[in-house]
Amino acid sequence: MFETYFAYSLRKPIPCFSTFITLLPIVLIITRKAYLDPTFKLLLFYSLSKLITDLLIFDSAVRQQNSIVYFNISIPVFYSLLAGMFYFKFSSSIYKKGILYSIGGFLVFAIWDISNSNLEITDFQNHRAVLFAKTVEGVLIIVLILMYFYEIINSLVIPDLLTFPFFWVCSGLLLYYSSFIFIAPILHYAASWKNIQDLGIARTVPYIFEIICALFFSVGVYHFSADDYAKQ
Amino acid sequence: MQNSEELKWALLIASMAMLMMAFCMISFVMYYQKRRFEEEKRINEIEKNYNRLLLDTALNSEETERRRIAQDLHDDIGTMLSLTKLSLNQLSKMVENYGNEKDDQIMRKSQSLVEETILHVRRITRDLVPTTLERFGLLEAVGEFVHKLEEGNKLAISFHASPEEFPRQGQKLELTIYRIIQELVNNAIKHASCSRIDINLEINDVLIDLRVIDNGVGFDPDKIKESNLAGLGLLGIESRLAIVNGTVQYEKPEKGGSRAFVQIPVMPVSDSKPEPLHPFRRERVNI
Repeated sequence: MFETYFAYSLRKPIPCFSTFITLLPIVLIITRKAYLDPTFKLLLFYSLSKLITDLLIFDSAVRQQNSIVYFNISIPVFYSLLAGMFYFKFSSSIYKKGILYSIGGFLVFAIWDISNSNLEITDFQNHRAVLFAKTVEGVLIIVLILMYFYEIINSLVIPDLLTFPFFWVCSGLLLYYSSFIFIAPILHYAASWKNIQDLGIARTVPYIFEIICALFFSVGVYHFSADDYAKQ
Repeated sequence: MQNSEELKWALLIASMAMLMMAFCMISFVMYYQKRRFEEEKRINEIEKNYNRLLLDTALNSEETERRRIAQDLHDDIGTMLSLTKLSLNQLSKMVENYGNEKDDQIMRKSQSLVEETILHVRRITRDLVPTTLERFGLLEAVGEFVHKLEEGNKLAISFHASPEEFPRQGQKLELTIYRIIQELVNNAIKHASCSRIDINLEINDVLIDLRVIDNGVGFDPDKIKESNLAGLGLLGIESRLAIVNGTVQYEKPEKGGSRAFVQIPVMPVSDSKPEPLHPFRRERVNI
């Protein structure tokens, strides 16, 4: 069994590396006690859920089973966790309320999109990727990041952004979702069990930026200081 | 097949364009944030300098006003009192010739009152303008101030500073230190009910250290600041220090009393020898 996993890893090194690189921010969050901050606690949960999802997808791919169902389920989970991070970061109560409503609204929308994209919801073998939800998730996350950038520029409380942990997290997410936003809707048509279409290098770009995103998370967590957080 | 290839390229180009925008956005945020911080820092610096200038002007005005009052006291009241004393002396001789003892007593009392008033005026004038400071320097002036205080109070004040190690400083700096010592010692006498005050003045290449320690009831500086009880005296010390980039720390030692620790950066003394100021010359003081 191990040989099969290994052979698959050698065949698709970039997607596999993007799966296992998630371990780096997880380890850093735990060792640097960044989980003391609710934002980084949610980032830990996000990274853990991403790792589990990616491992399940990896396992399904090795077993030659349809893994799209994990991808679809992960969309509302990821959005809830990522938007939750911004909930703790925004100081405006209006933004906070907006985030809570968006989490609820997106959950409903994602469930509708999953069922709309798969008329036979119990047919896991022919399960298809959502048509809109991943793109909407990307747009919402990018909007949240831009709003957060606007807030930090206006408030002028962070003297050096390069040493501010959450700036790295935002930058990583912005790059990852920017790389994926146009590919996400195509996956509905391309990632079909009966008729898989190869998107070439365009499909690899999000994996590369997933790796960059994980590295950015790690840099951000590395700049986190539990002592400074305790003093706040 | 061709459509599929075109789709791949379109996807790749769109993704690259989006990524480029993301990169630009991150770079813009970093650049703009940095620029705004620098701008804010510059404005704060201007504001700080302006406040310092205001404080400096206010303190200069205070010194000028002190000098004017001292001058008026000396030139007008002092002269008139001297003339009164002369007249009384003449009158006293006339009264002596008449041989009326009661009149003579009243005359002597008047003479002693006038003399006392002259002394008071002289003391007030000296308090207003520390002429010793300008003529002989900080150590002499503080020594004189301490000596005068010890005369009038049952108080032991020790002043430690080596004249060899403490060269003369700029007029402004000397006056600042002198006024701070005055304020700290007066505070200790007024509020601390102390019996002993130690004043230590040291200098090195970079800093002037001043320590004023008393054995009185002491005070908690944090509580005073929190409860807005900081009197004009403490605020005055901080204002004077702000002009010369100095700092002050107050401590309440466990064994009692209070300790004030002042640090002031040494300022380069201008080559031109400062003109000795006469307290009774009518001119604006430029400290």
